[in-house]
Amino acid sequence: MNYVILGNGIAGVTAAETIRQLDDPGQITLISDETFSPYCRPMISNLLEGAVDLSRLPVRSADFYEKNRITPILGTRAVSLDTDSQRVTTKDGQTHSYDRLLVATGADPRPIDAQGLDLDGVFFMRNIENVQQMINTLADVKHALVLGGGLVGFKAAYSLLRRNIAVTMLIGSGYPLSMQVDETAGQIIQQVLEKNGLTVRTGVFVTAFEGKKRLRTAHLSDGTRFDCDMCVIGKGVFPAHGFVPEKSIDTDAGIMVDDNMQTSVPGIYAAGDVAEHIDIARQQPWVNAIWPEAVAQGRVAGFNMAGYPVAYRGSLSRNVIRIFDTDLMTAGRVSPRDTDEACRFFSASDPARGTYRKLVFKEQILVGFVMINCIEQGGVLTSLIQGRTPVDIAEHNLLDPGFNVSRLMGRLTR
Amino acid sequence: MKQVIVHPERCVGCMQCMLACAASHSKTGTLISAISESPRPRPRIHVGAGLYEEGFPNRCRHCDPAPCQMACLPGAIYRQTITNTVLINPDICINCASCAMACPYGVIRYHADPLAPAAKTIAVKCDNCIARQHRGQIPACVEVCKTGALTFEEMDAAMKKKTDQVARSICAEAVPADNAPGFSLLNTVKRAEKEINLLR
Ligand SMILES: Cc1cc2nc3c(=O)[nH]c(=O)nc-3n(C[C@H](O)[C@H](O)[C@H](O)COP(=O)(O)OP(=O)(O)OC[C@H]3O[C@@H](n4cnc5c(N)ncnc54)[C@H](O)[C@@H]3O)c2cc1C
Ligand code: SF4
Ligand code: SF4
Repeated sequence: MNYVILGNGIAGVTAAETIRQLDDPGQITLISDETFSPYCRPMISNLLEGAVDLSRLPVRSADFYEKNRITPILGTRAVSLDTDSQRVTTKDGQTHSYDRLLVATGADPRPIDAQGLDLDGVFFMRNIENVQQMINTLADVKHALVLGGGLVGFKAAYSLLRRNIAVTMLIGSGYPLSMQVDETAGQIIQQVLEKNGLTVRTGVFVTAFEGKKRLRTAHLSDGTRFDCDMCVIGKGVFPAHGFVPEKSIDTDAGIMVDDNMQTSVPGIYAAGDVAEHIDIARQQPWVNAIWPEAVAQGRVAGFNMAGYPVAYRGSLSRNVIRIFDTDLMTAGRVSPRDTDEACRFFSASDPARGTYRKLVFKEQILVGFVMINCIEQGGVLTSLIQGRTPVDIAEHNLLDPGFNVSRLMGRLTR
Repeated sequence: MKQVIVHPERCVGCMQCMLACAASHSKTGTLISAISESPRPRPRIHVGAGLYEEGFPNRCRHCDPAPCQMACLPGAIYRQTITNTVLINPDICINCASCAMACPYGVIRYHADPLAPAAKTIAVKCDNCIARQHRGQIPACVEVCKTGALTFEEMDAAMKKKTDQVARSICAEAVPADNAPGFSLLNTVKRAEKEINLLR
């Protein structure tokens, strides 16, 4: 069997390993744009912060490709895919034929509509190269602008604050992380950042960047100017499937996949940030671009490609962030844009312990939560959402600081 | 291979296992001297209260596959196949708490640890007392438990089935459904191969 995998992110790498485990003689070719050996993408923010150096980022040993007998073709992108002749063409003009194909090309940062995006000092934050360029300019950065209060914008702002750089964050909605959390949690997090030097401005966006070669000023939508020497654009990502023929392969935001991670064309699979499956909490098609789902999807895709049918049970949006001395964990539907009148809400806060907890139920099923501090039991709640297990104990038990898994077990085994 | 088996119905909530665990994961190894160590040794088994205030000893189940391992960002979590133990490498851990979000039992804690790099906060959980096992001793929590709520024995098939059933009813991820015939077997074979190589 001749397998071709596009993308050496964690989804592609996990799939390749799984295939090798199950199909010893199979031929595996891995084509990817990035030449760095497989690494932990989320840790680029730790790199920006200066908390780790480059040597800490790889998640596989240097001999990963040899050890797994994978032929790497790095530094080139897939530019077209012919599903009839089963061939991928790369930017360098080569074609590669396959029996089974995995598209694991991840996501690209969403650009903004503003002039001057090509100035030095204007960055996206998606890969090691982006962050290395940022680090190279940091020495003379006095004031940085971060666009977007989502996960990436947030991590960029935190990393720069830790470098003692003044940061102003512009967010379109009322509070940071508005896609992930409710207003109360968002504001707690905003206060923590402000206490540590962040300036937040809501409801304004950048219309143009100005400077000779290097960024000096940003023009804002309210007509004012803002002097800055660095800008990180964190306005979200979009699945990187531009080269996929939409005539034959169903795409929505991401590439649509079935329970076996197979696309609408038999023999072609997709996994990771580029793929769209069912969201467990929302019960509708959704792209959940997070690391643990990329791992799980890569694994399931690998099984199925090697001929072992395994079903994926759907994805769940979730995140955990630690900033300064505050921890935030969130999963499923908590943001007002994800909830409706049919949801039941339960919340509790304890100012003395600095905790806040909110649970969202749909009938007896937990569909979302956010917790600030004391997050150790978050995994129990996450698995309740994932299992769609009806909760038949009083909800306050789940909000209680003494909550632990036995409170659920007691019920199930008694 | 012997494993720690928890019988929650026999737990009286005396928390002796927590003390024994903390002591055996201290620098000095005994309870008396462990108390004055810095950082303070902490237990990796947690006795919580159930719905009816009954005691419940909660510790890592060393799941296979382990959800925490799949979620760990830098790849700090791995399995030691000889003892079937899921371990965290303190040097690689970045204290991101992704594993807290993945563990369906809520058994991971975050703090400085006598056995980790100095002053570094890391993820800490049960390691099956592999250091003790290496010396021919049984896990400290089992040794100290006088009611039989914690035992160290061959996990027979029936027991495993019961544990899996409970786990599955709570969390589909803890024990994945065996919907790929041949796959579990294959993994078992691979694991056996690895063990043989390790023991040689
Ligand atoms: C700053 C930052 C922080 C994050 N923090 C977290 C976090 O804390 N927790 C979490 O769960 N997730 C986090 N994420 C998200 C996480 O990194 C992604 O979900 C995960 O890396 C997705 O893996 P993937 O394999 O699907 O895609 P990717 O890692 O994007 O890999 C895809 C690879 O394919 C290559 N490629 C793209 N197009 C082509 C093409 N046409 N041909 C060939 N190769 C191509 C790309 O260059 C890339 O190397 C973060 C992301 C960022 C950027
Ligand atoms: S998920 Fe929890 S119980 Fe399972 S191996 Fe990891 S820490 Fe242990
Ligand atoms: S806290 Fe440590 S062990 Fe847990 S997921 Fe993060 S790096 Fe891995």
